[in-house]
This record gives sequence, C-alpha cells and structure tokens, in this order.
Amino acid sequence: MLDDQEVRKLLLRTAARDEGAGEAFQRLYELCAPLLLGIAQRILRRRELAEEALHDAFARIWKATERYDPFATQPVAWMATIVRNRAIDIRASHDVSRVDSYQDSGDDPEGSLDRLFDWTENTEEGEDRRRAAQWLRDCLSRLEGAERQALVLSYDRGLSHGELAKHLGKPLGTVKTWVRRGMQNMRACLESCMEVVR
Amino acid sequence: MKLANHPQLDALSGEYIIGTLRGAARRRFERALREEPAAAARLRYWEGIVAPRYSKMIEAKPSMNVWRRLERELGLARYRMPWHQRAGFWKGLAAAATAALVLALAVPFLAPRPSEPQVFQIAQLTGKDSAVQVVAHLSKDGRTLVLHAARPVIAGPAQSYELWLIPAEGGNPLSLAVLGTLDAQLQVPQAHVSRLRRGAKLAVSTEPAGGSPTGAPTGPVILTGEIST
Repeated sequence: MLDDQEVRKLLLRTAARDEGAGEAFQRLYELCAPLLLGIAQRILRRRELAEEALHDAFARIWKATERYDPFATQPVAWMATIVRNRAIDIRASHDVSRVDSYQDSGDDPEGSLDRLFDWTENTEEGEDRRRAAQWLRDCLSRLEGAERQALVLSYDRGLSHGELAKHLGKPLGTVKTWVRRGMQNMRACLESCMEVVR
Repeated sequence: MKLANHPQLDALSGEYIIGTLRGAARRRFERALREEPAAAARLRYWEGIVAPRYSKMIEAKPSMNVWRRLERELGLARYRMPWHQRAGFWKGLAAAATAALVLALAVPFLAPRPSEPQVFQIAQLTGKDSAVQVVAHLSKDGRTLVLHAARPVIAGPAQSYELWLIPAEGGNPLSLAVLGTLDAQLQVPQAHVSRLRRGAKLAVSTEPAGGSPTGAPTGPVILTGEIST
C-alpha cells in the first residue's frame, strides 16, 4: 500500500530541485508508477497508450511539484487525478471504446469496486482517513444500483456521459441524471456522516 | 461569476473527481482552480473524502522505456548528486556506472618494461563488468604506481580513463593520472604520496579524451577499490 507520508516526502524533495531531487523523483516513480499505470490501463485498455499516459503524468508531476502544497492534498490521490485526467484525454483522441467491452466491470459494479479499491482496514492510516474510507463505502452501497453503476463506470473506466449511455443502452439524458443524482446523494450521505462526527 | 460562489461548485468538483467533467468545461474548471483558492480548497476537501485506496491488484509494471524517456526529457541528470558524494556508493559501486570500456583485442606487450621498480600490491579494483579487473601496485618509496589489467583495456578514440584517489579522511577525489590504457606505470604526484595509504580508495572513471574537463569525475565510474595495505 502506498504510504502518503512517504510520497509527500518524496514530492517535497523533488520540489527542492537540488542534487537529491533526481533521486527522490526516481524513487517516487518506482513507488507509484505501477499503481498509476494500473489506473491508466483501466481507462485506456491498451498498454502502449497507458504507458503514454504514465509518461505524460510523471512529466506533469515533475513540473507540478514546484507548486505542490504538502499540507493541502493527499498526494497519492493528487497523482492519481493527474494520470486519470491524462488518460481520459488520450482516450478521447483514440478510438479505444471499440475494442473495449467493459464486461468485467459494467455488469458487476460491486465486484468491480472490490477489485479496484482496497477496503480493508489499514491500521497505519490516520483515524480520519479510515473513517472517510468507511463513509465512502457505506454511501456508495446506499446508492441506487443504476446511480452507483454510472458513478463507478465513469470513475473506473473514464467513460464520458455519451460512452456511458451507449454502454448501458440508455438515453443520454437518463444517464446524465443518474450521474448527477448519484453525486448529489453521495454528497448528502457523506455530509451527514460528517455531521454525526461533529 | 466566481466559481467559488457557484451553486454548482460541489457538483462540478464531484464531476471533476470522477472524470465526467470533460473538454472545455474541465479546462475552465482547472483554470478557475488556479485563480481561486477557495474553489481549489473545496475540491481538495472532496478529494480528501472521495479518495479510495486503490487495490494492489490493479498495479502493472511499466516498461523501462517510460522511465528512460522521462529521465532524458526532464534532464534529471542535472538534479543528481555527483557519484562520489552519494551515500553508500563506495560500498556497492553504483549500478548506474556502466562499464563504458572498450575491450581491445589482445595487444601484446612484446618488450619487458624498462626498470620495473620493486612493488607490492595495494588494491584490487573491480567494477560491474567482472571481466575488467585491475590490480594496483605501489613501489616501496610510494612514488610509483603500477596498474595491471587482467585483460588489456584501451580507451576508445574519444575517451580517456582517469585514475582518482579518494583520501581516507574523505573529501573530493584527487586526480592521479589520465590514462589511455589500464596497464600503466605512473609517477604519483608529490602532494599525494602520503595520501596513498590504507583506507583511501582508488577509482577509475571514463572521461572525454584528455581527462575530466572540470577537475572532478564527470563520466561513469568503472572501477573502484580500497587500499588495503
């Protein structure tokens, strides 16, 4: 499991742009590239495109470390967002969808969730982090099936609204509603979890 | 309207996180994030909550080319510590040191060398390429250093070998000689005679023809060895 603390430290050392920066960035790469490539591959399905996304993401991370605010972001999530966004862009410019059947995820969002995410309790994580993971899982499971499926497919596979509609065989408007409602419900659910804590 | 006050800020953040915010809309959102700290903070707030740990099962091993390309394009070599300062370097000889050696075809040394001084072995220099081994001998008066390579090793036309002394007490490498071949006999510079002692190290790096342009090693280190006697 990637350790946010360790990753944050390496990002800061990289940002220093001193003699240790190259070393730190390499270590960061060694630590995180397998996960980021995995994320890109779920979206792009083709190895060479996923590696392209990985390359672009790390080039961007290298530049972005200079502006990286160590206290603001969970660094692994931050890096994951960068590679996901890049993969989504590459996906849009290549015809990936034709070779992509999504069968292993679309028809089984529950199983897919468990393959994609690690829900096990991690004692090394802070209490907040553990709680947030629990909320996320609970709130996802409380969504309606269609909403959950729409959210998970967008997140996991990087599908656009249009692709989602095609894949699910539903009108675009319906799918958009699922995504929007799913997110509203997630937000309401997560905020009520937080209320209880306060 | 400022994005930070936008009633849909949470919805946009959510769509951004799951990835359905696309194209121009996403670029607009990202631009706003850069310009409006309040909006960026709101996104980070959601990212903090909607940040599942990914399963190890999805991980994949990238091919070496991705890293090599990054290293080249970002010019990472500039941000690395010189090899001789790196921690642990002398224990394990950094794997990065590629043996840029030209193994010459056998060059027979026909004539015996004139006036071989009385020497004793002080160090064995080894590197990544196990075929290349050099034994260093020192004369009794400490003024003459003799290198013997297990196999003849001759520098390519655009390169030289440079022999360095890393003093036992630490500090920067001191150049002892620029060599065209690793079979050599050389006079130790007077200032360094006393430094050729137990605990000091010898190293050979590959340099541009004529030796290091900076006075410090610039090329890969192909051989190192500690003085044992």
